[in-house]
Amino acid sequence: MAKKLKELIKKITELYGPSGREDQVRDFIKEQIKDHVDDIKTDKLGNLIATKKGNSGKTILFDAHMDEIGVVVTHILDKGFLKVEQVGGQNPVNLIGSRLIFNGRIGVVGVEGESEKELKDNYKNLSLDNIFVDIGVSSKEEAEKIAPIGTFGTFAEGFVDYGNYCMSKAMDDRIGCAILIETIKNMKDNQHTVLFAFTVQEEVGLVGSFVSTFDYEVNRAIAIDVTDSLDTPKALKRMSMALGKGPCIKIKDNLSVSDREVVEWIKNAALANNIPYQFEVLTFGGTNAAGYQRTKSGIPSGTISIPTRYIHSPHEMLSYSDVENTVKLLNTLSKTNF
Amino acid sequence: MRKYLKDLTNLAGISSREEKIKEYIKSNVANKVDEITEDNMGNLICLIKGKDSSKKLMLDAHMDEVGFMITRINEDGTFGISPVGGVDPRVVKSQRLKIEEKISAVVNSTPIHLEKETDKVEQYESIRVYAGFSNKEEASKKVHLGDMVTFDTTYYEENSYAVAKAFDDRVGCSIMMDIIDYFFENSEKPLYDTYFNFATQEETGLRGTGTAASKIHPNFAIVLEGTTAGDNPENTPDKWATHIGNGPVLTFMHSGLVLNKEIFEKIVDTAKKLGIKFQYKMRTAGGTDAARLAKTLYGIPAGVISVPCRYIHSPQSIMNLQDYENTYQLVKQLVVNTPF
Repeated sequence: MAKKLKELIKKITELYGPSGREDQVRDFIKEQIKDHVDDIKTDKLGNLIATKKGNSGKTILFDAHMDEIGVVVTHILDKGFLKVEQVGGQNPVNLIGSRLIFNGRIGVVGVEGESEKELKDNYKNLSLDNIFVDIGVSSKEEAEKIAPIGTFGTFAEGFVDYGNYCMSKAMDDRIGCAILIETIKNMKDNQHTVLFAFTVQEEVGLVGSFVSTFDYEVNRAIAIDVTDSLDTPKALKRMSMALGKGPCIKIKDNLSVSDREVVEWIKNAALANNIPYQFEVLTFGGTNAAGYQRTKSGIPSGTISIPTRYIHSPHEMLSYSDVENTVKLLNTLSKTNF
Repeated sequence: MRKYLKDLTNLAGISSREEKIKEYIKSNVANKVDEITEDNMGNLICLIKGKDSSKKLMLDAHMDEVGFMITRINEDGTFGISPVGGVDPRVVKSQRLKIEEKISAVVNSTPIHLEKETDKVEQYESIRVYAGFSNKEEASKKVHLGDMVTFDTTYYEENSYAVAKAFDDRVGCSIMMDIIDYFFENSEKPLYDTYFNFATQEETGLRGTGTAASKIHPNFAIVLEGTTAGDNPENTPDKWATHIGNGPVLTFMHSGLVLNKEIFEKIVDTAKKLGIKFQYKMRTAGGTDAARLAKTLYGIPAGVISVPCRYIHSPQSIMNLQDYENTYQLVKQLVVNTPF
């Protein structure tokens, strides 16, 4: 794995960017790609869309979302403790013992309970109603200055390099962003015009993907996102995605069935270029592909997923080889006919 | 101000059946706006041209209310109903309803001494509506499958509070009508070309506003709503969504969307400058038309301002009149001369 790509993954996953607050991520990506693309623009919603022109007369789109899950301050209690609500799908279990960051201020999570029984019950039935965030202040006034109502927080856990694997918060979907950046930098002789859509607010409802193609006619759209890896002890038996076995070509998930021709196109490109791949049938979840399918007159869409362990936790783990193979696969697709 | 709220809440109009509300609004604004159009989804779009026509502002409030449809006519002349929009079956029991605004009806209630399982909630499958018919044949002459059913509630005011059904979202419609009146009575113009969209079918999935916006092509939008209070005294304030009496509710995030930060902050600044009491929505559940607007055309940025109402989606909700006035003042200020 190239050291540069590792650094890119570290930098981009450690950035702060919950849904609706993707500014830092967008600025970072713009800086990374601006010298390598023919056109770059930001739309009204905040999607960043870059173009690399081709000659085939066809346009394909690769999508990765910039936002990560988080929390938002909804109430400040008398002594300066915060109450929060989820931004995207947040399992409160993951908040216990994690560090959160609000406006640069670290917070930790405590559980309410006025008797041992209540405390025990609350641990069993964790919800955002029975936990609170402590940002190390002693008064409501102090908390209001640092993290007023409406302040967004994210996990604060950083990047870990394991050699073949790596781990960080927000791999969902900064790894997709990193893959697109790397693809842009490596892309040569693309036949198709390729749009790279770095989208906003996927985690709260696939918002960005519904409008990112407004100014473009797109023939095929592919979301690059993470999917669950089921290679851990006693993992769900009905699915087989695993780290290191290559990018996953999604057949379906809970929100979309991938276009069959798109699936065949990706599979044939992988086969012809000896790129390993896996098929993915996810019994839950969804990606921006669902948004592209419902945009305009319906764009034939699919998803290429990076198998990832512990998605939506502060520690999302994946394999470098899957990342590299996805970059190869996307480059290949830019010159594969359909 | 507040000339229309009583009439608006007394009228019946579930999702897809907003025609009476629309006629009422149309007849009261017709000569006061520059242009009135309707689209295929039934949205009523009223334009008042601004001083600056380089930008378009869309104000949005939905005309539909939650209610029911007749889905079954039983052998004994009673009816089965299904909710249109989110109506918890717990608020339906023992209520008075109106079928197509004409026929009075009541919902069954098991006699207390026969009710063994007191914790059990009667679901729509077993809820029966009585309207004075003794058999299916008789009932079928007057009532048909798909007929609209609404709560039979009449608006009243008591001191600084108003009680009615359908504050969600007739209160938004009422504020938009008040603002149209303001421009008319003062011969004034809004800052930008302002499209007042009285939307359909919000309660069944934000279905109306998208087509209206596609026609208008607004630069930005402000969605006006009646929102939940949930300020029950047995809960601590950190569990409340909003509190009636604390002023207009400003939303930074709700189901399906984080609201545009610049617009949100502009609304907050405007409220501060006006010196009115305001509050933030402290629960993020439940969405508004803003979530649909963000997915429409190029992604229309929007803000959401709501009047807090206690017990929404029920036969009786309570609203504070000062909250209404403050919300009106805030929205008016935004439309009259706040640059975006």
